[in-house]
Amino acid sequence: MIEARGASLLWFPDQAGITGAGLPAGAVFPVRAKARQTPEAHVLMIEDDSSIAEMYRLQFEHDGYRVTVATTGELAVSTLSGSEPDLVLLDLLLPDRSGLEVLVTLNERFPNHPPVVILSNYGEPSMIDRGRALGAIEYLVKSRVTPADISEQIPGWIEQGRRRGRKES
Amino acid sequence: MTQAAIVAQDLTALGFVALGAAIAYRWYRDPVPAQGMLALALITLGAVAALGRIPNPPGVLSVVNVALFILSGFFVLLFRNEFVPLGRKALMGAYALLAIGIAVGIADVLAFSDAPQAVTALIGVLVITPWAVFVGEPIVRFWLESNKLPAVQRTRMRFLSSGFGLLIAIVFVAVVGGSALRSPAAIVLTQLVALAAVPVIYVSFAPPSLLRRIWRMGEENEVRAAMQDLLIFTPSRQDLAERAAYWAVRLMGATAGFVSDADGKILATSGVDSVSAARLLSSPSGQAVVMAPLHLTEGQGRLGIVSGPFTPVFGTDEVAQLRAYANSVSAGLERTRVTERMAALEDNKTQFLNLASHELRGPMTVIRGYVSMLEAGLLGTLNEQGRKAAGVMAAKVSEMNELLEEMIETARLEEGEVTVRAVEADLREIARSAAGVVAPMLQANHQLVMDLPDRRVRVKVDPDRTKTIIANLLSNAIKYSPDGGTITCQVRSRAGTARVAVSDEGLGITRDSMPKLFTRFGRIITPETEHLKGTGLGLFLGRQLARLQGGDITVASEAGKGSIFTLQLPAVGPVPFPVSNGGADGPHDPPVGASPRKLAGTD
Repeated sequence: MIEARGASLLWFPDQAGITGAGLPAGAVFPVRAKARQTPEAHVLMIEDDSSIAEMYRLQFEHDGYRVTVATTGELAVSTLSGSEPDLVLLDLLLPDRSGLEVLVTLNERFPNHPPVVILSNYGEPSMIDRGRALGAIEYLVKSRVTPADISEQIPGWIEQGRRRGRKES
Repeated sequence: MTQAAIVAQDLTALGFVALGAAIAYRWYRDPVPAQGMLALALITLGAVAALGRIPNPPGVLSVVNVALFILSGFFVLLFRNEFVPLGRKALMGAYALLAIGIAVGIADVLAFSDAPQAVTALIGVLVITPWAVFVGEPIVRFWLESNKLPAVQRTRMRFLSSGFGLLIAIVFVAVVGGSALRSPAAIVLTQLVALAAVPVIYVSFAPPSLLRRIWRMGEENEVRAAMQDLLIFTPSRQDLAERAAYWAVRLMGATAGFVSDADGKILATSGVDSVSAARLLSSPSGQAVVMAPLHLTEGQGRLGIVSGPFTPVFGTDEVAQLRAYANSVSAGLERTRVTERMAALEDNKTQFLNLASHELRGPMTVIRGYVSMLEAGLLGTLNEQGRKAAGVMAAKVSEMNELLEEMIETARLEEGEVTVRAVEADLREIARSAAGVVAPMLQANHQLVMDLPDRRVRVKVDPDRTKTIIANLLSNAIKYSPDGGTITCQVRSRAGTARVAVSDEGLGITRDSMPKLFTRFGRIITPETEHLKGTGLGLFLGRQLARLQGGDITVASEAGKGSIFTLQLPAVGPVPFPVSNGGADGPHDPPVGASPRKLAGTD
């Protein structure tokens, strides 16, 4: 017997290989991973849509992260030159260039850049493959995840980035 | 025996008179200029045969007869001149030969009628030689030209050549043979051979349909191939028009062909560029252009061929064929127009679906995000009514998102952009997580029974997509069981096939509705189901996704009793030991597409 739990009854083709982020957390994973949160971690969000950026900022700051928003690829690069965020959330559709181009620039200019997670509304497998090939540790389709889904995965991503950094050095 | 010789001579004369009359009648009915000369040739030949039967003719009549005989040959040469014009010199030579022939003929009749045998024969040869030249040159020419023409036309021209060839032979034998052939038996024989030339020549200008059919038989397969090519294997209108032009040229033995649309636009050409084709279409008088109408919805198009010089006279059968062929081309063009329009519509639909769904994802992200934050209390504390409202909104937004994802997946499927990433998985786990997804839909009067085997059911599939399929089957089972009942999800594996059977005790499906079940947007709407929501994409998607993974979905149902939907997937052979379910913390990276989190049991 199955008992009804949670409000979300969404199911979807999750071919992005998303590590659980696309799952309706409320229904299947009722326990949230807030305990593992890194204190005062710094998230750089590259996102030109202010309504989306503001929404994520609200959630992330509520969960105790420091958030910087860059609305163009250019701004993102200059932000990265001045500070060292723990995680980069990257949108693919930016006014000045594509997010994938930004990722290429990061790889060239900051070889030890923080882990990059792509947040986009393009879920085409080819895009996902390209993002991953360029070194993004995760690719999420925005409409499939809630701000909380993203927020709760931030510590894991930061950890993943650290491990990878150690491996490389 | 002498009597028999006379009858034979009468019969032959009658035969040639009839031949002359027949072509005269045909020419009168359908005055094709080129045919006029042949008609004159055969009419004069008939007259010669008739005059020859007058006993003891006066000298004048004999003179007229000889002149007519030589003229009949000259008309054959003129007939050839209509198709393949002679040079100026050749024509002058022909006139000279005509004059000499007639002069010698008159001399023969007037001065040498009582000359010795040898002299008569020599003069006879001198008279018939111009005639033989006038007739012989064209028949050789016709025979050679006929080689490259289609069967019926070729055969007609060869029959004409053969008929006149026979006449030349008979005339020479009769004149040279002289007294040696004066015996009644020899006369009967030569007359009969001459008579045989009559039907041979006749069929060359008026072949009966039976003969035409026999002559055409060799080409029948080719015609059939052309029709099939046009009516069955041609996908686009342009392609069809091009093939129609190509086949028209080939079947008619033409030098070029073209197809024009109702508005006079040249659709396709073969052996000619479209500018020349347009000129031929607007003023076809210059060349031997044969055109057949194409009956199209917008009006009349044209199928035209630039035929050889003999086509107007000998190619009448091919021209009739061209008209029949044009009807097939019309049908083909109409068909491709409809299919192309449908394909364009289908394409638009896919594009619309794609665009709409992608554009909707942006706003969906924000609404869904804020609603979830509202519900979680992140945006401030709500009162009880607010919390309730937030819960309802969250559920509805999720529903909307579900439809959106279905639409995107469908659009992607139709563009062939779906790639399945198969990994080894336990089908029981996938079924459990699918059940978890639909759990919130269950009402109090529903019971969901998971009938799972104790052993792992190993399959090589895309786990997320498979979960999608099963969750959709379960969600349908719940949705179409408005009065509750037991929904069973049974997982089994046997003989290389793993099965997930989802059965319910709900509304069931009528036999009439079955064919629509797995089609896109093929939602079955009945009074019982019209209030239920859905895009009608779920089963379409499910089956497509199952098939992409080497499986399928089948259904058994009885209206009013319930349905069983069975998802079949290729199983992986049994393993002796259960594999540890370590997930992401295992020694190797999780395969792409697999969820590394351990799925919690939901029961």
